[in-house]
Amino acid sequence: MDKEELTPHMEELKRVLEGKITEKELMEELDKYVNEYDVDVESAKRAIKRKFGGEESGFVTGDAVSKKIGDLTGNEPNVDITAKIVYVEKKQIRARGEDKTIISGILGDDTGTASFTIWSDGYELEKGSVYIFKNAYIKTWNDRVQVNMGNRGAVEKSDTKIEMPERSISYSSVESKIKDLKEGMGNVSVTGRVLSVEERKVNVKGEDKTVYSGLMADDTGKVQFSAWNDHGLKEGETILISNAYIRGWKGIPQLNIGDRSEVTRVDDPFGNTDLGTSSNKTLGEIAESGGGLDVGVSGLVVDLRGGSGLIFRCPQCNRSVLGGECANHGKIEPVHDLRMKIVLDDGTGAIGAVLNRELTEKLTGVTLENAVNLSKARGESGIIAREMAPRILMKRLAMRGNVMSDEYGPMMIVAEAETEEVDIETAATKLLDIVEEVL
Amino acid sequence: MNARETAWRVFAGELNSSSLEIKSEEEKSPSYLITPLGAKLNRILIAGVLLDKENTGTEEEPMWRGRIQDVSGNFFINVGRFQPNAAASMADLEAPSYVAVVGKVRTYTADDGRVFVTVRPETITNIDEKTRNLWVLEAAQSTWDRLVKMKDALRIQNAGKQDLVGKGFSPDDAEGIISALEHYGMPESAKYLKLIQNSLRMLLPDRNIDLGLPEDLADAPDEIVLGEDTGKGKEFLLSLLEEMDMGELGVSMEVILKKAAENGMTPEEVEEASDALMDDGLAYEPKVGFLKAI
Repeated sequence: MDKEELTPHMEELKRVLEGKITEKELMEELDKYVNEYDVDVESAKRAIKRKFGGEESGFVTGDAVSKKIGDLTGNEPNVDITAKIVYVEKKQIRARGEDKTIISGILGDDTGTASFTIWSDGYELEKGSVYIFKNAYIKTWNDRVQVNMGNRGAVEKSDTKIEMPERSISYSSVESKIKDLKEGMGNVSVTGRVLSVEERKVNVKGEDKTVYSGLMADDTGKVQFSAWNDHGLKEGETILISNAYIRGWKGIPQLNIGDRSEVTRVDDPFGNTDLGTSSNKTLGEIAESGGGLDVGVSGLVVDLRGGSGLIFRCPQCNRSVLGGECANHGKIEPVHDLRMKIVLDDGTGAIGAVLNRELTEKLTGVTLENAVNLSKARGESGIIAREMAPRILMKRLAMRGNVMSDEYGPMMIVAEAETEEVDIETAATKLLDIVEEVL
Repeated sequence: MNARETAWRVFAGELNSSSLEIKSEEEKSPSYLITPLGAKLNRILIAGVLLDKENTGTEEEPMWRGRIQDVSGNFFINVGRFQPNAAASMADLEAPSYVAVVGKVRTYTADDGRVFVTVRPETITNIDEKTRNLWVLEAAQSTWDRLVKMKDALRIQNAGKQDLVGKGFSPDDAEGIISALEHYGMPESAKYLKLIQNSLRMLLPDRNIDLGLPEDLADAPDEIVLGEDTGKGKEFLLSLLEEMDMGELGVSMEVILKKAAENGMTPEEVEEASDALMDDGLAYEPKVGFLKAI
């Protein structure tokens, strides 16, 4: 390798080693490793970094290569990344039947940001600090790279300074519609109208803070936001938020306006559109994003799940109980209730949905009173779900509600539901017109 | 997060032409069937006429089999002992009647390498004609969407999965389309347009629908499933069925085999031709061992 080829590597080392060694010495070192000893350039760089203290010598490094976030392709099996923590949290998940705590968040360097997951809770990472993520493996999800740390990985504190340029707002902040927001996105820009905002006092690590949270909407959907600084947000105004990051709560994306975010007032591009109404989505879109606030969907009921029909609840905590015994309140006199747990499918995706007594009565014609009488007459309550099944299966429903996700996938808590009539002749004529036009 | 598998609306004509199964390497992950139009499906939603049903198990442990006909052919359903709801529905259903089935696709490969697709129902629902028509509409729409996506994908020269994803295809669509093109080659679009034409004719009986397809297309060889020309055998068999028709039950296989042998057809050729006729929706088995023209 001649000097010209080595220069970018030298520049990289220079950044990492920050004045611990002169440019000339660095070039000599590189030249020695690469040209004299025929060491490949990635190993040479690692060796030099260790030698001059730019990186601790951790044995786990193996033959990982170092990369910048912007250079990740999404299928690196073993890579080292030096990055600053933009956001971090610990999460409880259930994997293979076991409860597990993992660490996840967003990390960034001067080339971009990525979400990360550490499959262990053995680290205490601080927001704003720089770490070396050793032996990470990279995957893509929803076309974005994700940094994963498994058993082989190790996270070590680094003294490297990383400036995440504010300028990155202009070129790497991704403009997004609200319906496309997904958990784990960093650096997004969203234009929306503030539907509501309120001040809340919260305690973060022993420090009292004021959070400004509420609901904002564009012409594709609604999202909850939280601002950690006072931007003087007012209901009804339209704002452009740059460099926000997206966290998720049970699959519902939440927009966070953090220290690096900018808020600007902009002209409202939505005209007279009433953004307060629910937006319609396909079930495929919902399954992909994992959740959403006040969304409208329609599809066919393809399953009536267990736990549907006549159920019993604890009079004190309202939880559904079996055998007249509540997990919290012991032996109780249960109250009757009706509900349906259905699966709605529109051919693009499928979600679960829970319908309360009122909606169940409306859609099936089975009232709570009927149900109680029938189950007493038959001496069992399972009969009710069997009575309901033929009345609801294969019905086309239009529903509205909040969708959240757990390990069983997305689920809507249904606020409104009604059967939807399809004018088959009109729809078939429309399809015929399209087909004839193309042929 | 495990999103539930979508129930694909797919016609028998497309499903039964499928022979590519993608088995997952990971445990408990679902396997998928790739159709010639690139649908990557695990669960399907089908509707049509329940033609017949048969309990091949015992009264206590029923094993129901049935056949459901749509505008393009028959779906074969097998209800095992682990689907109690579906088994209970089967016991109550009368044939013929309109039914809708949500279930998982299963394949098995015969000794001669042919792949058969069956459906393992999770729920079976007795429906009215309107709901059946709604399904036909959704299936026609969905088949059309797949044809269009396939056409869009073919415009991109030598595209790989990533190229399609880059062009806005979902990863599943991209994988389905690329796998389908590798395995089946270019789809016989005329065949699928014919399916759409037939369904639209059924939904809009007053319109004189003609998409300009050759009317004898149903007799064209179905190369994907059979791998050889069965056109002649089908023609012969169909004329035989019409000639010898004995009423409700049609013609017994014994008679068919005898007549076919006189005309130089082997029993295997007869079986292929009768399968092809049933796939095309031109004949059905009113009872095991009998075949009747529709």
